[in-house]
Amino acid sequence: MFRRTTWLTLYLLLAMALLAGPAFAMHIAEGFLPFNWAAFWFVVVLPFWFWGLRSIQQTVKSNPGLKMLLGLAGAYAFVLSALKIPSVTGSCSHPTGVGLGAILFGPAAMSILGGIVLLFQALLLAHGGLSTLGANTFSMAVVGPFVAYGLYRLVRRLNGSMAVAVFLAATLGDLMTYVTTSLQLALAFPAQPGGVLASMLKFMGIFAVTQLPLAISEGILTVIVFNLLATYNKNELQELSILD
Amino acid sequence: MFSIDQYAYSNRLKNIHPGEKVAFALVTLLIALVAPRPLIPAIIIALMAGATIGIAGIPARFYLQLFLVPFSFLVAGVAMIALTITSQPQASLKGVTLLGWTLGFTPAGMHLAGKIFLKSLGAAACLYFLSLTTPIVDILTVLRQLRVPALLVDLISLTYRFIFVLLATVNDIYTAQASRLGYASLRTSYHSLGQLAANLFIKTYRRSQELFTALTARGYHEELQVLEVAYPFSWPFLCLAAIFDLVLVILMLLT
Repeated sequence: MFRRTTWLTLYLLLAMALLAGPAFAMHIAEGFLPFNWAAFWFVVVLPFWFWGLRSIQQTVKSNPGLKMLLGLAGAYAFVLSALKIPSVTGSCSHPTGVGLGAILFGPAAMSILGGIVLLFQALLLAHGGLSTLGANTFSMAVVGPFVAYGLYRLVRRLNGSMAVAVFLAATLGDLMTYVTTSLQLALAFPAQPGGVLASMLKFMGIFAVTQLPLAISEGILTVIVFNLLATYNKNELQELSILD
Repeated sequence: MFSIDQYAYSNRLKNIHPGEKVAFALVTLLIALVAPRPLIPAIIIALMAGATIGIAGIPARFYLQLFLVPFSFLVAGVAMIALTITSQPQASLKGVTLLGWTLGFTPAGMHLAGKIFLKSLGAAACLYFLSLTTPIVDILTVLRQLRVPALLVDLISLTYRFIFVLLATVNDIYTAQASRLGYASLRTSYHSLGQLAANLFIKTYRRSQELFTALTARGYHEELQVLEVAYPFSWPFLCLAAIFDLVLVILMLLT
């Protein structure tokens, strides 16, 4: 009798977790992290915000119109994240725009833009939170864009095709974001026997099932977007390289 | 388009000084985070719900629905914290064993999970109080008074303004595409969505250039100058908020 109820509970929890996964699963909810960890991630993210703001300030000085573009780019990223992409597994999910943004605007600007998007998602949509803003910014607006931008540059330098570079950047940028989120959760809540590593495997296990198809979907979508931009809007893309 | 934004402008606490509301929400949030016992978050949920529904006049139904938003993350996260997977048998561990590995729950793990769940809901109640009673424009005023760099405040206010403009554009494009069977199959969905994102980007780009031209014509130089609404300090609100937080701190220290 007891065994059956435990099985049932485990099954229900897993089913709920899997169903619950896709929609904005990467944002750590408000108040979920203990105070010390929430503060720690703010401290970690602060130099990136500072650096991002400095780099934006310098480009804006030489090209004042860029400020409007970056402000609108924040709105663009927010609106994109509210769209739904059909996932390969049949469920729907929200794109993160991490890869696209990093390639278009560079990782420095993304640390600021991503932070702003996360702030609005907390205030207007109740996704994420204020106390977890530091942790979420670190995973989505620092680690993700850095990985995406680095990979994009690397593949291009190795003479890889644009499509391969964009796909790898968007997919792995997404994946690294969720690996970072799992690490943040595991550090805050190490498993009783097993410690941080065991805990990280638990969190990654649940994210892997839901986020792997999403990351691939987003990779495909980003390639389509980039192809269209490269075909019809070459001038704008060339103008944007001033951001680097 | 966003109900939260709508309520922020139409609730009964809208005319309270935004600085007071921000301070109250953040201090209470901090107390919810550092409180060692689940009693404090429980009290915070009750009182914040009372303030948001009773005083600010937010419909209870909508307020409860908001708590469903982080629910999926919370359930998944809390389940993972409670779940113990180990190869060493433990006396307190209740669960199922497969190939020498035990999957199950310990009382300690369940206790911790429950505490985090309640704490998270308490913190969310503070966030909702702020977002449902204070328009973003007022929060920007507070940021300016706190000497946040003007560039950052400008970027936030531009983002806020254009979220609504771009959303209207997205809705138009989406309707046009859907009415031409653009989302009929998985293949066409990807193609349509790609076109939507690419087009929206170019529209965004053009719009930013138009905005810059328009602003320059009106004497824009480096900073966006806006008129701010002056709110008087509300002593009753300030006193009530201070008493509430003080009681919580004392309660936290006593228990």
